[in-house]
Amino acid sequence: MGNILVLAEHRQGALRDISYEMMALAPKLAEDMGCEVTVLLVGSKMDDLAKKMAAYGSKVLVVDDPLFENFNAEKYQKVLSALIDDLKPAVVMTGQTAQGVDFIPALAVEKNLPLVAEAISLEYANGTLKATRQLYSGKVNATVAFKPADTYLVTIREGVVEPPDAAADGAVEKVDSPLKDDLTYRSFVEYIEAEVGDVDITQSDTLVAVGRGLKEDKNLSIIEELAQAIRADIAGSRAATDAGWIPHDRQVGTSGKSVKPKLYIAMGISGAFQHVAGMKGAKTVVAINKDPEAPIFTVADYAIVDDMFKVVPKLIEKLKELKG
Amino acid sequence: MSTESQTFTEKYDLLGCIQCGRCTGGCPVTVRADLNVRRFVYDAYYEEKLDELARLAEIWDCTACHTCAVRCPKGLKPLEVLLGLRTMIIESGKVEPTVRDALQSVLLEGNPWEKSRAARSDWMEGLDVKIAEPGVPVENLFFVCCTIAYDPRVKSIARNIVGLLNKSGVDYAFLDESETCCGSEVFTLGEEGLFEMLVEDNTELLNEYTAKRLVCLSPHCFTTYKTRYPDLKAEVIHYTQLLVELLEEGKLNWKGDLQKTIVYHDPCYLGKQSNVYDEPRTLLKNIPGVKMVEFERSRERSLCCEGGGGKMWVESESKKERLAETRIKDAKALEADIVAVACPFCVLTLEDAMKSLGYEEEMRVAEIMELLGEFVEA
Repeated sequence: MGNILVLAEHRQGALRDISYEMMALAPKLAEDMGCEVTVLLVGSKMDDLAKKMAAYGSKVLVVDDPLFENFNAEKYQKVLSALIDDLKPAVVMTGQTAQGVDFIPALAVEKNLPLVAEAISLEYANGTLKATRQLYSGKVNATVAFKPADTYLVTIREGVVEPPDAAADGAVEKVDSPLKDDLTYRSFVEYIEAEVGDVDITQSDTLVAVGRGLKEDKNLSIIEELAQAIRADIAGSRAATDAGWIPHDRQVGTSGKSVKPKLYIAMGISGAFQHVAGMKGAKTVVAINKDPEAPIFTVADYAIVDDMFKVVPKLIEKLKELKG
Repeated sequence: MSTESQTFTEKYDLLGCIQCGRCTGGCPVTVRADLNVRRFVYDAYYEEKLDELARLAEIWDCTACHTCAVRCPKGLKPLEVLLGLRTMIIESGKVEPTVRDALQSVLLEGNPWEKSRAARSDWMEGLDVKIAEPGVPVENLFFVCCTIAYDPRVKSIARNIVGLLNKSGVDYAFLDESETCCGSEVFTLGEEGLFEMLVEDNTELLNEYTAKRLVCLSPHCFTTYKTRYPDLKAEVIHYTQLLVELLEEGKLNWKGDLQKTIVYHDPCYLGKQSNVYDEPRTLLKNIPGVKMVEFERSRERSLCCEGGGGKMWVESESKKERLAETRIKDAKALEADIVAVACPFCVLTLEDAMKSLGYEEEMRVAEIMELLGEFVEA
């Protein structure tokens, strides 16, 4: 049986977390399958990154060539395709990332190999490889079995396992690039970085959202204090962003962002249908509003009918007390 | 829809434009955004420029109010050039998630609000509503609208009219959960393919009910059915037109005494786009104790509230005062107690503006049907 080939992902000279996370899953699977893990790095000037990946105890293969200075799905597909022919790996594992999903499906079609996307765990027993993946926004875990093949392709969801501790150093081996000439169908243009300091509220676990009830800019300081105490990001209703209290990219609602935090604290937000539509994915909703008739209470799990400026200082006080 | 058989220039009759600029001159959005629709009509003539034009953020500032079309001396519809550019963006898939989700929801659930189709008639709860049956002739078949059916703030428009219809004895019926989005916002967001599908499906569905008239509660559905559904058998009217008939037949009995000053805001889709200006005013005038005042910009010159044209799902980059706030300030200057409208979107935008300006204690935004619900006798 061939090895498990883990494609380590990197961007702008740094390894991505998913590369380490896969090293938490691959060795256990290799043990069950009775094979070993081989890490693959494709890029240019890979010496440092190769050393970092080798610290997890597995052999690291490096395809080091200026042609791979920037990620290019077309080139990656060619390299993987050639290495699958050469190495005949039992499994090719990549991240379910913008990079991974850019070439793995095409590779699966090209080589006619089975692919399971976005697995959260893998198991091998009685000659069958099975992957667990989530359905219905994570409400259901489904275990799917691969149909028998020489090589299985799988992408791993980001952030589902903790990276392991470094182990003994593995060997680093350079292999010749299977790609001799540049491919020009797709070319790298530029990296566009998100503005520094920007918070993507669609990814926040905890959100403190304010509305028209904030009344004025200077009242934001107490909200910031609360947000800090519970490690929340601050968002706002359309009224709050219109007033300039909250940046427009933090507007929740049908004309703003749809958010799905674990906790959403709505303060001074009446809860217009168009706002509620943007936060209906929140797991727990706490609403603070003076008006007992405010529609926000119809979607709240916890309702506090009072002035937010009375409630928030008490909340902060209590939080401080609990934290000792 | 593919435009292979027709170039952009042919489809929007760009060569018919004489570049007089009345479109941009009258465009209400220019007050707060850098939208120059005349310029778009000019530039769109150059096919090689279309991609670049479609990427300009201001194409999403248009509210599809149709002021430009009303004012065009050549009878063109300059706004549709902007919608055509939106279509290019939609077809390329580079679309805001909010727009994507709204369109997907129309496709899957028949409404843009990401609500379940099964909940579409929940607004009827506790009411005695006559439900239409295919093949059973009915005089007035009602079309509720996605926003009225799902948004709790404007549900009362539908609930109140049911009460009124039951009292008046008119022959009417409502659709059940099978009612599906008319596609007004789908069309203005530029999703031509989905809109064509809706036209086909809705035409088939609505023609199954042998209705003499299709009565729409929202001006958006009203204008869309009237102007973009060529094969619909029923005559399409707005509910204010039906109620004026009832008024003239003496079937509306008023009660109480309102003693308020009302200013009526002409919704673009009802006024400019469908020429219904008088019926809403007639109904309001007849509420006992009402004093009517008029905006300086009224009827054909009415200021858009910015609720249409897909703007419920797209924000302008402009930070300048919303037109709805300008409108509410004008109402305040007229010392109006009530800003009356005949459109669910106008209720939402104007009421929001009223709250933002802090006038909620002294002023009220109300849909005509909300007021009639309070002042028509049992």
